Amino acid sequence: MLKTILLPQKLRLACSAFGFSTMLLLGACSQKTISSATPTPPTTPETAAFSPKTTYQIPVDYYTLDNGLKVVLSPDKTTPIVTVAAYYNIGFRNEPKDRTGFAHLFEHMMFQGSQNLGKMEFIQLIQKNGGVLNGSTRFDFTNYFEIVPANKLETILWAEADRMRGLNITQENLKNQQEVVKNEVKVNVLNQPYGGFPWLDMPQYANKNWFNAHNFYGDLKDLDAANLDDVKSFFKTFYSPNNAALIVSGDFDPTQAKTWVKQYFGAIPSADLPAKVDLTEPRQEKEQRFVKDDKLATKPALAFAYHMPDRNTPEYYAMGLLDQILIQGNDSRLYQALVQEKGYTGSVSGGINSGLGNMFNYNGPMLWDGNLIHDNNVTADSIIAVIDREIKKLETSGIDQALLDLAIVKMRSSFYDQISQLYGFGKADLLASFALFDNNPARINTLESEFRKVTPELMQKTLREYLRPTNRTILTVNPLAKS
Amino acid sequence: MKIINIYLLNAALLFSGATALAQKQTPPTGGEPRNFTLPAKQEFTLPNGLQATMVPYGEIPKVTVSLIVQVGNVHETEKENGLADITGQLMREGTTNLNAKQIAEQAARMGGSVDISVGSNQTTISGSVLSEYGPELVKLLADLVQHPAFPPSEIERIKNDFKRSMNLARSQPGTQADTKFRMAIYKGHPYGRDLPTDAQIDAFTVEQVRDFYQRQFGAQRTGVYVAGKFEGSAMRQAITSALSEWQQGPPPRIEIAQPVTKPDMLLLDRPGAPQSTLIIGLPTIDPSHPDYTKLRVMNSLLGGSFGSRITRNIRENKGYTYSPHSTIAPRYRVADWSEQADVTTEHTGNSLKEIVNEIDRLQKEAPSPEELKGIQNYVAGIFVLQNSSPGGIINQLNFLDLHGLPDTYLTNQVQAIHAVTPQEVKDLTKKYIRPEDMTTVVVGDKKVITPQIKKFQAEIKKRAL
Repeated sequence: MLKTILLPQKLRLACSAFGFSTMLLLGACSQKTISSATPTPPTTPETAAFSPKTTYQIPVDYYTLDNGLKVVLSPDKTTPIVTVAAYYNIGFRNEPKDRTGFAHLFEHMMFQGSQNLGKMEFIQLIQKNGGVLNGSTRFDFTNYFEIVPANKLETILWAEADRMRGLNITQENLKNQQEVVKNEVKVNVLNQPYGGFPWLDMPQYANKNWFNAHNFYGDLKDLDAANLDDVKSFFKTFYSPNNAALIVSGDFDPTQAKTWVKQYFGAIPSADLPAKVDLTEPRQEKEQRFVKDDKLATKPALAFAYHMPDRNTPEYYAMGLLDQILIQGNDSRLYQALVQEKGYTGSVSGGINSGLGNMFNYNGPMLWDGNLIHDNNVTADSIIAVIDREIKKLETSGIDQALLDLAIVKMRSSFYDQISQLYGFGKADLLASFALFDNNPARINTLESEFRKVTPELMQKTLREYLRPTNRTILTVNPLAKS
Repeated sequence: MKIINIYLLNAALLFSGATALAQKQTPPTGGEPRNFTLPAKQEFTLPNGLQATMVPYGEIPKVTVSLIVQVGNVHETEKENGLADITGQLMREGTTNLNAKQIAEQAARMGGSVDISVGSNQTTISGSVLSEYGPELVKLLADLVQHPAFPPSEIERIKNDFKRSMNLARSQPGTQADTKFRMAIYKGHPYGRDLPTDAQIDAFTVEQVRDFYQRQFGAQRTGVYVAGKFEGSAMRQAITSALSEWQQGPPPRIEIAQPVTKPDMLLLDRPGAPQSTLIIGLPTIDPSHPDYTKLRVMNSLLGGSFGSRITRNIRENKGYTYSPHSTIAPRYRVADWSEQADVTTEHTGNSLKEIVNEIDRLQKEAPSPEELKGIQNYVAGIFVLQNSSPGGIINQLNFLDLHGLPDTYLTNQVQAIHAVTPQEVKDLTKKYIRPEDMTTVVVGDKKVITPQIKKFQAEIKKRAL
């Protein structure tokens, strides 16, 4: 019939969160894939014994061009394909106040023409060379990526450099993409039951700082108001090599790749970057609750969100493990309680940056959240009581080493899934995030050891400070449609 | 500072559209293509008829195992609408050895979960775990499929969850359109059934579930697929010892549908909708037909890729939509072709008209060799990607098994993709993609779109003259 239905936008977002296109690939959204740093696999199953401590190392060659462009090379000979990803350190949080949705609209403009590639020519170039492409806008970056046959690396580097050098956009192209983006908002939000719930709504309710708390997809009138001057100044402000990272992963020769990167990107001038926006959120001291009317939904829904510890602190890693224990997988405390035991719902989904990424690819305040759709005869309070009970249980009985170890196994496994996503694009995504935000893409190989440093005591401390009811926002959907 | 760039943008501002530019550079062509070979597979069959296929792929220490049983909604009688789904869901609720919580905990200890999904032809029981736990995962999945407890204590909850998810599905315009379309094309066959109602779901009993399982499940209908990084001999042994004792069960059998080709316009009212969700299509050939790969190439050129003609037209030129695409949906021995899009309400009629215009254009004039070559490269590139992940590899192999295709279907795929000629693309469009025979479904604001639809229908009539 239908596979277990998640929230509809989840399905779409898996394919393209705030993205340029839904047409990247055929088949499932989150294709699992595998890549490696060793030669082509043998033709018969090998007979090596596995130790439970098998560690998987990702090659990371990191350097910066004179113009400030960060470059990461990560060779992998599993399949004769290469991934090229250009990440710009500008996400939807940072867009101008009178132009909600502009960072994402601009992302669309990056496909509309550069000096040597007219409208549609970039897309046609990738396709006719046997590749796929997409772009997306997230909290703290906008990305553009291509996955192509290995022998086409130079072609793609040339093309990606062409649009980093400058755009060539007409009023007609802008108008066209304004219409396309408005249709994107309609199909993903306005014409869907639970549209925007909770991924687009929750930040607006939970956060206090406008940069973290506005409508990232954009009000339709703001989208209409955008003009060519906006496009021009946005590009000039944010789209320079010293505000970007370029990732090449897959089957390529690093020496050759370095030559091409220098040849095509080396001469693009850097720019003065604007001062960093203050993204800080005040400490939340009181629980807040909100209700959203939904005229297309037939059943009530509930979402909860807690402010996260700062990225890369010991508590942040502890929170990653709490996420595994509480909400990830069918063995998780909340699934067992809300689904298996109480029967309030068929599935609970959520996590860290769950609607628009993962726990690694953002750089600022973030939420840990969860959501479920339930029946009319179940009250929001009874759901919240269960959540409180489960968190309380962890607090009173403590988290022992055995439970920590289980969380680490789950974390390791989901990390491998993450780097496998979309033919290894997931690996490029993490490398880009770590280059842009931490200036250290090699972090990708030390994440496991960071999680292993977490102690039962730290778990307790993190739970008490961050999973307190006064640190949370509850959002419920009031369904107005007839079943 | 980007002098050149500012100049260019200014030029664009001044001469909106007509940018007078210097000679453009052409992209570097790239090097010689590398050899791509399909990952090697190891196959064996157990005495009870269960088939196993193992494909080592990559170095990331994870392995995916899928038990795929040829049982789905297609095996339900009219009175059993949704019973396959309930059976699959209840299967996860416990075996004669483990309850649901223990199953979830076991899977989590291996770094995975057990997923059961029920489709129209098949039920898939699968998991993806850290490599060292591969044999244990086989044991767990085998327990689920062979010794389901179907606990009576859980059926009400499972039914309730299923009702809720069907309820949600019925409120989504995409599902509404898709259901309506299927019901028209596959009328009288399980493929053409409506989503199960609350009353239908409420009526199911544990006895019915057990009976359905007994009648439908068994080794002869099952394939087990392993892909990723694993130890071959240990996995083979695990499969053999865990699944050899299972009942043979019934032989594979799917009742072949007789699709309906009928020009029809079906409107579903969604008052106030800012968009219309539309599907326009007709029955077509299935993967066992010699023209199938050629038709896939044609489809990619017409509407099935980002650079396709319909997408260029209604998205990148006119801005009517964000999400247009055409697909060939293969069922079993039947298939359908359709173009789907969510379009601005005001342009519902125009969108339909442009879709038909693009079909007509391809029927009348063969594409240029360059345009076709580009699409062939794209389809061949996608084929490489489809075989570059454990999940993708399993999908490909299962596709062969379900549709009864020989290995050569995959090994000759790239060659077959490149063999299509421009003239053939034109002829295939004429033969298989006939607007005058299409069923159209539109979910939208009836009040606003009815006049547009009437106008479109008049144009289609004129076109036939």
